[in-house]
Amino acid sequence: MRELVIDKTLFIKGVALEYRVLAFLLLTVCLMFADSRFSYMDRVRFSLGFVITPVYWIANIPAQLTFWVDDVFVSRTDLLTENNQLREDLLVAQRELQLLESLARENSRLLELREATEMIEAEVLPAEIINLSPDPFLKRVLINKGAMDGVFVGQAMLDANGVMGQVDEVLPFTSWVLLITDFRHVTPVEVNRNGERALARGSRSTAIELDLEFVTQTQDMKAGDLLVSSGMGQVYPKNYPVARIVSVYADPGMDFAIVKARPLAQMARTRHVILVFEGVETVLPESLPVPQGNGAEADIGRENLPPRAEPAPEHSEPGYP
Amino acid sequence: MQKTANGRWVIFLSFIIAYLLAIVPLPDWARPYRPEWISMVLLYWVMALPYRVGIGTAWLVGIIHDVLEGSMLGLNSLGLLLIAYVTMTLHLRLRMFSAMQQAGLVLALTGINLNLTHWLQVVSGQTVSSSLLFMLGAVTSAVIWPLLFQLLRYTRRYFDVR
Repeated sequence: MRELVIDKTLFIKGVALEYRVLAFLLLTVCLMFADSRFSYMDRVRFSLGFVITPVYWIANIPAQLTFWVDDVFVSRTDLLTENNQLREDLLVAQRELQLLESLARENSRLLELREATEMIEAEVLPAEIINLSPDPFLKRVLINKGAMDGVFVGQAMLDANGVMGQVDEVLPFTSWVLLITDFRHVTPVEVNRNGERALARGSRSTAIELDLEFVTQTQDMKAGDLLVSSGMGQVYPKNYPVARIVSVYADPGMDFAIVKARPLAQMARTRHVILVFEGVETVLPESLPVPQGNGAEADIGRENLPPRAEPAPEHSEPGYP
Repeated sequence: MQKTANGRWVIFLSFIIAYLLAIVPLPDWARPYRPEWISMVLLYWVMALPYRVGIGTAWLVGIIHDVLEGSMLGLNSLGLLLIAYVTMTLHLRLRMFSAMQQAGLVLALTGINLNLTHWLQVVSGQTVSSSLLFMLGAVTSAVIWPLLFQLLRYTRRYFDVR
């Protein structure tokens, strides 16, 4: 009996070990090939995603705990200061929103496109970043929303300051998002000042930076210029802020200028992000508020007042004191 | 005294914890130093119970790691297969090694594993080779190995995993 046990532990190798290794090696190579070339392995990943989701949740507990501790053990003065700050920010943002609405209408009027106004429909899904890619060279993050929440591959992700990335792989309850700073990601952008178009590729180092590709020496770009998404790739909604140009180096001896930009989204710090569902929506004029009681000759200027703006006294309703 | 295999859940749990440690978010400066927890736990179990934890387990562990990381399927399996194979052929000698010698082997094996993974990533266009910082993980693994070895051996003996 004793010998039997020793036998079992001593001669596990047998003849089959090398063959087994070889078989598994072949299987692995085939699997890698299938996964990188064809898409049917995605279903395998998706199914395995159900099993592994708890691991993500548990891995996220330390971070959640830190945030919880930060939230609970905060002094009253800090809260009051933060509250005041937020209130001020909200006021500023609301004022800008009012301006924006009237500007958008004015813009569409100037472009003689009054029958169809382009607007960004605000259908968004808030999400949280719960993990990062373990490899510092891959700029991918994991968010806590997945196929069950309607997330799809290619969906745009933004934070409060600008474009962050697009959904790369969808799992049942989580998704991987490729950030715009990854070297495999290219964002179509345009300079806000003059509409010059360019392609912004993520940096090849660990730096959080974008390189503008194929910018000719004569293109008008300056350090400090704001880059907004041009909507060309059909992934990101148009006119969202993406980055700000940090440096422009134009050497006449080279084919293209070297332009570097820093993304506006808080890549390394933020935790709260939003996923955009509707990209660019065309809104027909019926849905726009039309002022009443002003007759058919409603002048353009009035009609284009933002709905938020206070009505002028002469427009007040008859029964209003 | 029964001779059947037992304590499957201990092995299972040790791998779950290794996965957690492998994907738990770290601050930016610490990311290259992350030890190869999964490789080390696998190495320990192959060394201790080569007739239970072997090539097949290594492969499965690697596939699950790939899905967790969102990397190409099979990427982590290849290195783990290699580790399991080398450990299985050396396991009798390995048990006689001092802690330092074992740590040296861990350094070599995790180093090879990291290198192999990195090459495959470069070949498949998932990353660019810009520095050798990723090799730091092998060094921290070797430093941590003696402690981890004691811990895992204590656990194995405590729960009588055979």
